[in-house]
Amino acid sequence: MKDPYLSSIAEIVDVKRQSYDTKTYTICFLNDERRREFRATPGQFMMISVPGLGEAPFSLSSGPEKSDSFDTTIRAVGNVTGILDRYDVGARIGVRGPYGKGWPLEEAKGRDILIVAGGIGLAPLRPVLTTIQRNRNLFGNLEVLYGARTPADEMFVDEYEEWQRIEDTTLSLTVDSVPKGVTWPHRIGVVTTLFDDMRISPEDSIVMTCGPEIMMRFAARGLLARNFRRNQIYVSLERRMKCGMGHCGHCQIGPKFVCRDGPVFNYSDLEGLPDLAL
Amino acid sequence: MKADLDYFLEELRRDFRVVGPKKKRSEHVFGDIHIVEDLDLEYVTTILPPKKLFFPPTENLFSFNSAGEAIPADIKAQRLLIFGIHSCDLNGLLLLDRVFENDYPYPRYVERRRNSVIVAMTCANLGDTCFCDSMGTGPEPKTGYDILLTDLGERFLVEVGTAEGSRLAGMMRSSEAEESDLQLKKKLLFEAKTKFKKRINTDGLAEIFEKNLDHPLWKRLADTDLACAQCVMSCPTCFCLDIRDQWSSVLGETVRCVEWDACFLLEFAEVALGGNFRKDRSARLRQFMGHNLSWGGIAQYGPVNGQHKCVGCGRCIRVCPVSIDITEVAREIRGG
Repeated sequence: MKDPYLSSIAEIVDVKRQSYDTKTYTICFLNDERRREFRATPGQFMMISVPGLGEAPFSLSSGPEKSDSFDTTIRAVGNVTGILDRYDVGARIGVRGPYGKGWPLEEAKGRDILIVAGGIGLAPLRPVLTTIQRNRNLFGNLEVLYGARTPADEMFVDEYEEWQRIEDTTLSLTVDSVPKGVTWPHRIGVVTTLFDDMRISPEDSIVMTCGPEIMMRFAARGLLARNFRRNQIYVSLERRMKCGMGHCGHCQIGPKFVCRDGPVFNYSDLEGLPDLAL
Repeated sequence: MKADLDYFLEELRRDFRVVGPKKKRSEHVFGDIHIVEDLDLEYVTTILPPKKLFFPPTENLFSFNSAGEAIPADIKAQRLLIFGIHSCDLNGLLLLDRVFENDYPYPRYVERRRNSVIVAMTCANLGDTCFCDSMGTGPEPKTGYDILLTDLGERFLVEVGTAEGSRLAGMMRSSEAEESDLQLKKKLLFEAKTKFKKRINTDGLAEIFEKNLDHPLWKRLADTDLACAQCVMSCPTCFCLDIRDQWSSVLGETVRCVEWDACFLLEFAEVALGGNFRKDRSARLRQFMGHNLSWGGIAQYGPVNGQHKCVGCGRCIRVCPVSIDITEVAREIRGG
């Protein structure tokens, strides 16, 4: 019996800094067959490990546009991420996955798409953007609302121009605050302040949101107040995870396992569940 | 004949590691049975449920070589025979099967289970905290056993559940059971069912629970609750696990190990930067109770004979140092 806890060895082939504490790592499996067979859908996550330090879950930040490697965008805040932060091209890590249910791209076909992201929450949505970019005629208008704490906390800054060149796409930016001496030509305020100028309407649209749970709470409520329905809204949740396979129990929310039933959930499926800030 | 148990165990020990209830000071444990005197079938319950035989409290998954490659640790899936398991614990194993034999089978558990044989006992030794009857998991095992024994005094009534059970039962010196033996078993069960001191009304319980997530009892019980997690550690169906890496400079070895974890512990739902989705003790208490009485059954694993995660073994009530009683919790959220 193949042990699903067994990682494959992979190599970091590129490291790109996103912000003062966050980098995007491009990772490639050493084993040819594993590399060839690897398929993931936007919104899924990987378990990445450093032997001796442990394993942690990370969203994929690249989509099907990459065939022989994948990206994951990681903020250095803990044990495993602290070591990864010191790793450079050529370092080897353990990888298993992908796990979980991703974004509803089938359901999104033919509809307008609103993306609401906060901070590093843009990372798991980046593969949605690249998927739309590559299959532009399959989807309706695209609107991205992105908020970060300060201009220095924004992710994927050098890709905004390219995203804005995607046909029928708007990208709006906001930050909670701007330090003195920094010029900021966009909005100031939490991400929901961007709702006032939003172009997408509730008719025949779908919403995908990822960020701190409290941000998603206000985003979802703001959208409901603008006549979006609960079942049009999809959220991606963060929870502690040790296995990714429905064994370890850490990610449970009532009857749901975030690792298997999520991490992307329809907002209406979370109604009435305990231990949620949504 | 019970007097022949000695001979039967000796035969079983040729093929199996035999584990059964044995006395340990004032309690019982599932331990290795070498001679018939080790076995105490009069036991009520054990400190830990037999889950430990398939899912040990801690074990290594892998060690890592210098290239970072994982070398799987030996599963040690020897042929195991559990002798004298009660219905509550057997149902506990059947639920764990659902958890660990999902589409990502946990091979260490699965291989050990596949190599195991179950000799179950009809339970007539009810303890003060037992309520299997309420949960539909006892006192008589309905499924999951290879052999089922019922103590009829001088004799056992032997029923077989599988081909392997039939083969093994053939090693016993026995005679054909008579109608009167079956009647005697019925009588024993009938008498046992009148002796339950704890009960849970499970009718609509899952839904009642979901409507009472803000019930004042969570905060009230959390004031006395120590969050010691003994209830979780002694539960036959709690499966939560932690995975940790350990490094020893003495052994020059790095291992990845699995150990039991508990939703009652503060760090259980903690994420990076100190975020904690169940920081309040009341939320952790509600998680344990909710998993056992509401969402841990059909909602999570599909129909398991329509049962809840809780199998009514009563261990969590026995071990609780502050007398939190799951049957009283169930009664209170129902409103009496």
